[in-house]
Amino acid sequence: MRTGPCPWETGNPSRPVTPSAPPSPPKPWLWRTLTSIRLTVFLLLILAAVAVVGTLLPQDQPAAQYVARYGETLGSLLWVLGLSRIYYSPWFLLPVFLLALNILACLVHGLPQAMRRSRQRLDWDTARTLPERGRFNCPPGADPRPRVAQVLRRELGRPRALSFPDQEVFLFERGRFRPLGPYVVHLALLLVLAGGLIGKFWSIEGQLTLPVGEEARAFRVGQHKEVPLPFQVRLDSFQVKFYEEGGMPKEFRSDLTFFQDGQEAARAICRVNEPVTFGGLTFYQASYGTQPAGPVRLKVQHGGVSETVDAPLRRPVDLPGGAAQVMAFRVEGDLQGYGPAVQLALRLGPGHPLVFWAFQNHPELEEKDLPYRIYPESIPFKYYSVLQVKRDPGVWWVYAGFLLFLPGFYLAFLRPPQRWAVVLEKAEKGAWQGRLLGTSPRGREEFQARQERVLAQLKKGAAP
Amino acid sequence: MTSLLLGVVMLAYLAVGLLFLMGELWSSPRLKSAALTLFWAGLGAHTAALLGRWVESYQLAALHSPPAGWADILQLVVFQAPLSNFYESLVFFSWCLPALGLLSFRRYLAGYLGAVVAILACLLLAYASLWVDSRIKPLMPALKSNWLLIHVVTAFLGYAAFALAFGTALLYLATERRPRASLPPAAQLDRLLYRATIFGFILLTLGILTGAVWAETAWGRYWSWDPKETWSLITWLIYASLLHARLLKGWQGRRIAWLAVLGFMAVLFTYFGVSFLLSGLHSYLT
Repeated sequence: MRTGPCPWETGNPSRPVTPSAPPSPPKPWLWRTLTSIRLTVFLLLILAAVAVVGTLLPQDQPAAQYVARYGETLGSLLWVLGLSRIYYSPWFLLPVFLLALNILACLVHGLPQAMRRSRQRLDWDTARTLPERGRFNCPPGADPRPRVAQVLRRELGRPRALSFPDQEVFLFERGRFRPLGPYVVHLALLLVLAGGLIGKFWSIEGQLTLPVGEEARAFRVGQHKEVPLPFQVRLDSFQVKFYEEGGMPKEFRSDLTFFQDGQEAARAICRVNEPVTFGGLTFYQASYGTQPAGPVRLKVQHGGVSETVDAPLRRPVDLPGGAAQVMAFRVEGDLQGYGPAVQLALRLGPGHPLVFWAFQNHPELEEKDLPYRIYPESIPFKYYSVLQVKRDPGVWWVYAGFLLFLPGFYLAFLRPPQRWAVVLEKAEKGAWQGRLLGTSPRGREEFQARQERVLAQLKKGAAP
Repeated sequence: MTSLLLGVVMLAYLAVGLLFLMGELWSSPRLKSAALTLFWAGLGAHTAALLGRWVESYQLAALHSPPAGWADILQLVVFQAPLSNFYESLVFFSWCLPALGLLSFRRYLAGYLGAVVAILACLLLAYASLWVDSRIKPLMPALKSNWLLIHVVTAFLGYAAFALAFGTALLYLATERRPRASLPPAAQLDRLLYRATIFGFILLTLGILTGAVWAETAWGRYWSWDPKETWSLITWLIYASLLHARLLKGWQGRRIAWLAVLGFMAVLFTYFGVSFLLSGLHSYLT
């Protein structure tokens, strides 16, 4: 079933690691399967397919939704099979688990050899077997060694010089640690998965809805569960700012004070993209809203008569004359940057009421063509801020994995191994003959370009 | 001003594509080098347009909240990078294609491949200029983050590399069916496909990682199975399988090329499909 050396290697090493290793007994079937890249490819494509299903089916809906949408049979089948929470169901988690096992097995299987290979420095025994790339002659007289060393240093890097009775050797290698690259990348991936798993079991996530001026001792997890906070937090103020009237929101800001054992412990500003951490819990600005803080006072003009009316929320109030009723049913602290506003329903007779917004600071935005002119004089309100509250010890594992990806990619993809050797041999009458040896199992094109440059330099440097 | 310049750039890319094609069909080195020169000029103008938009965007933001001190200015410059809506992302995507091609894959960017890259860049720009709202809007709170710049840049450079791999895969499939003297040899195309995929894979991974870190600071969750996230993961899985499949016997060549085509379809869906067909946290892009 398996083809090629597991794992993650294509180019053969320039020489076998253990030249005279005894043939190892064939591995059991399970181990061969677990360390096979065929399994990896299969699992990756399965995961992709399952993820596609997850984006086409609505996720996390109540069972009734699926029945309503897909019919009795199919809808309940989707629900029973766990396709409504596909990323948390065996459909997805089993392949992930197998992939983790696959990666782990490949790490165990191949890492020791990769480490052995990256410990092996290029020595003369290996270098002499490298394929020859070109020759050059050095005339008698000048010592060619400094020139050769200089060319190599300029074109490749600092070479290592070895002296033998009748030949001088310069060795250079790059990307010796390349074999470790894929292992680092896959280890990083395992760390990320481990972080996800840790988060699954030990993270806590909830919401805190906090009106301005009030103090919280607990937050809500899920629909009903209240979890006590190990401290108290107070929302001192909440602000929403707009770029301009009728424009985009610019900033949502909650000013928080934390209390530990009744003592003020810290003050912090929480904005979107600027979470606040206290006592091991992190608070994120998630949402906000306005709640009324008393009846709305309306100035009503009708037929030259002006009168003030107090309208408590969601309670119809008779307008002067008794022919119409008004009801305030929603207030906003700042509607699209136009300041405080109240949503009113005006009932003029039988039939549907008229629903419109009235602005405290913008009488010119009034609803036109009404028999009544209604201006809010005061809209008492109070903001509340909705904060996401979270603790996830898995995040650090995930981040560690992220960081580890960087050296992993660098080693695996950006450092193609190259091995070079220049051999100078004494020829007749004090002249020298040079040979350039080298190989690069990956990145052959780059190697070839460099080889031509080095050879040209060596020939030029060696000419009289 | 910048939109006029971008119109010119779009025409230049179209001309580059045609010149590459004609140069290939008539095997005229003069046309080919003209195409390359014009490509560089187009990229230069495109870069200027991007920078111009950056300056405009900065000035608009500075009007709303004048920066005080150097740190503030720097912060505003980073925030106002022209990458914050669908139009700007299209313009940047179309910039990435020639930039990546001319800078990192210069040796291969000629003939049919050059034409594919130029035409793709031209189409993206045409779409952006003709059908997408190009007004500069102030930044919404969710996008005010240093991660925006790095997240978008890595993601779109990755997309561009995948587009390059896609073009190469098409050429590969064409040569395999009927080898032609005018097409590069299959082995060379295979190598290029692999290199472009690696480039794209590294950048897509970085794009996903930076996105995850950003999501953690903005929403308190590094992964929420938002459709955009999920589709980027699907894309990532497809390209990961491509990279691994290359190590298998019998999977080199044609199957890899088809995987690259499939992967690019996933890229296109991640970019366009998710924005228009599925709703989610990334919906501010439209």
